[in-house]
Amino acid sequence: MTETRPASRSSMSPSAKTDLAISLVLIAAAIALPFMVDSRYILGQIVLALFYATIASQWNLLFGFSGIFSLAQMAIFAFGGYATAMLCFYFGWNVWAALVPGALGAVLFSLVVGLACLRLTGVYVALLTLAIAQTMYLLIVTDTECFVMVGSVCRQFTGGAVGFARFGDLGTRALLRAQWLVGNYAIIAVLFAVTMVFTYAIVKSPIGLAFRALKDNPGYAVARGVNRFQAQLLVFGISAFFTGLAGGFYAAHFQAIGPGVLSMSQLMFIIAIVVVGGVGTFWGPLVGTVVLVLADELMRESGEFRTLGLGLIIALSVVLMPKGLVGRFGDLVHWLARRRASPDSKTAVSNIVQSPAPAGK
Amino acid sequence: MTDVLMAILVAGFTSGALYALATVGLSLVWGSMGMLNMAHAAMLTLGGYVAFTVITSLGLPIALGFAGAIVAGAVAGAILYFAIVRNLLKNDKSTFEANVMIATVGIGIALENAILLTYGGQPLKQPVSIAGTFRLGPLTLPWQNLMIIAVVVVMMVVVSLALGRTRMGRAIRATAQNRDAAQLMGVAVNRVYLQVLMLSGALAGICGVMVSSMTQLSPPLGNDPMLKAFIMCVVAGLGNLPGAVAAALGLALLESFVQYALGARWGFPSLLFVVIAVLIWRPSGLFGRAEIRRM
Repeated sequence: MTETRPASRSSMSPSAKTDLAISLVLIAAAIALPFMVDSRYILGQIVLALFYATIASQWNLLFGFSGIFSLAQMAIFAFGGYATAMLCFYFGWNVWAALVPGALGAVLFSLVVGLACLRLTGVYVALLTLAIAQTMYLLIVTDTECFVMVGSVCRQFTGGAVGFARFGDLGTRALLRAQWLVGNYAIIAVLFAVTMVFTYAIVKSPIGLAFRALKDNPGYAVARGVNRFQAQLLVFGISAFFTGLAGGFYAAHFQAIGPGVLSMSQLMFIIAIVVVGGVGTFWGPLVGTVVLVLADELMRESGEFRTLGLGLIIALSVVLMPKGLVGRFGDLVHWLARRRASPDSKTAVSNIVQSPAPAGK
Repeated sequence: MTDVLMAILVAGFTSGALYALATVGLSLVWGSMGMLNMAHAAMLTLGGYVAFTVITSLGLPIALGFAGAIVAGAVAGAILYFAIVRNLLKNDKSTFEANVMIATVGIGIALENAILLTYGGQPLKQPVSIAGTFRLGPLTLPWQNLMIIAVVVVMMVVVSLALGRTRMGRAIRATAQNRDAAQLMGVAVNRVYLQVLMLSGALAGICGVMVSSMTQLSPPLGNDPMLKAFIMCVVAGLGNLPGAVAAALGLALLESFVQYALGARWGFPSLLFVVIAVLIWRPSGLFGRAEIRRM
């Protein structure tokens, strides 16, 4: 694949063509989906899966492409959701008007977190962001002070352990009546698509190259003039925008947001998606979402073993497929190519073996 | 006033001792193998539950309960080594740090959930407890807290002797300083890793018994001390054992003062603020030395 790169510099590279082909197939499938799925439950789960895929793609941008091991991903997601919900709840804003301010709030929050954490590297970042996320959870859950009275019920500023509900929705219920879920599905699918397009553009742009250089060899990247702190703060903010936006849409779709999204198991599910799909691969989060949501649905039958199974899946896939399913698929493609090439020439074999995995995969 | 102050100090020192034990287990593994064990919390819980089973269900003496917790922790550490760490070490070294953290997160969730499925979610009473108080002049000290502090001090002495005086300890320290050089000098690095994980598992087991004797046994038991142990490790500089003990005691005292002054919910956030302030001032921790890395 990559061995033809010099020839194709003028037009699209083969990996970009593959990515384009995959996206077209996916868009077609996304449009066909509501016509083929009757069950409300399944469509609802698909919408939820799209949220997971969006959050996972942004965590992958942070961890997989930029090497920032942040565990504050769900905290930023929750911040976006809470900000949107609180703008609607306290000021009576329309949900659509509150989405972007909510996402910008999440960016601001992420920059504060980033200023505190991104001087550090590796696991120090992971530990500190985890502590921040847990603090946020604890402060929300233990919030008991009355802020406003709603009817005869006391309401905490952060919504307390209950969270916020009934602050408005995306307007699809009034517009489409019984088909409102299809409308929400379309909105969230567009959100996911836009997020993926932006992520792709970032990963392929010069600044994306800087992010990846910082991940692959920080010392060398810094020596070549990349400012580590600034670049990492930038990618932290970018991913926080889409994560926070997803949080706002999440709150609007479910018409509720509570501290549950901050729980450890939600964070682990996102990490599992990226790890199973393939860390640092563009399509990994989507593949991981499909696989894990399906596995989760299957394990729902066996109820109580769900979390146990999830934990084992995470551990096993790290051990057995360090590059995830997408990486394993890449290995398979290479293996097939090598098999086909081996009778002809030995030089071609070593060429393919030594070439790095396609960047877009 | 002195009563309140004493109560705060006793509570602070007790929890400080517990955090120190948890922090040392974590820091030992980090220092010698560059591995952050996210399953440490579940190993803590495991120790507490094994002691409960040995003492309550089997009716054996308390000493055997402790022994059971130690053995269970060590076995869990060994399993962790053979199932996960050994395999991940074969891969590229640069990915080890993140991969092992994610894998141990998975193991931790699975283990915590296995405990939940075995014992149920309702809190259980840890039988390792001593009633009554001890009067020393104007001070009133519960025996329970004294026992915990005594056990922790004993464990610290055992660990420092094991690291400082034995052949195994020398091998561990050598590996921690420079893995490649140690290997070239004939240290069986893989065996050192196994020993370190078993040692830290045993420490986690005892720590679990102690923590549950202060509160109650429940599947998420280990998570709260572990989260605090993490940030104490960060303050001290990961891998620094005496620093870890000092940071654990200092932060635990701060936490109990804040909890008294501002209410329980501000305890953990105040720790976090201190940690962030320390890290802005000294990015590699209070006692950590800035590492010089060769490219």
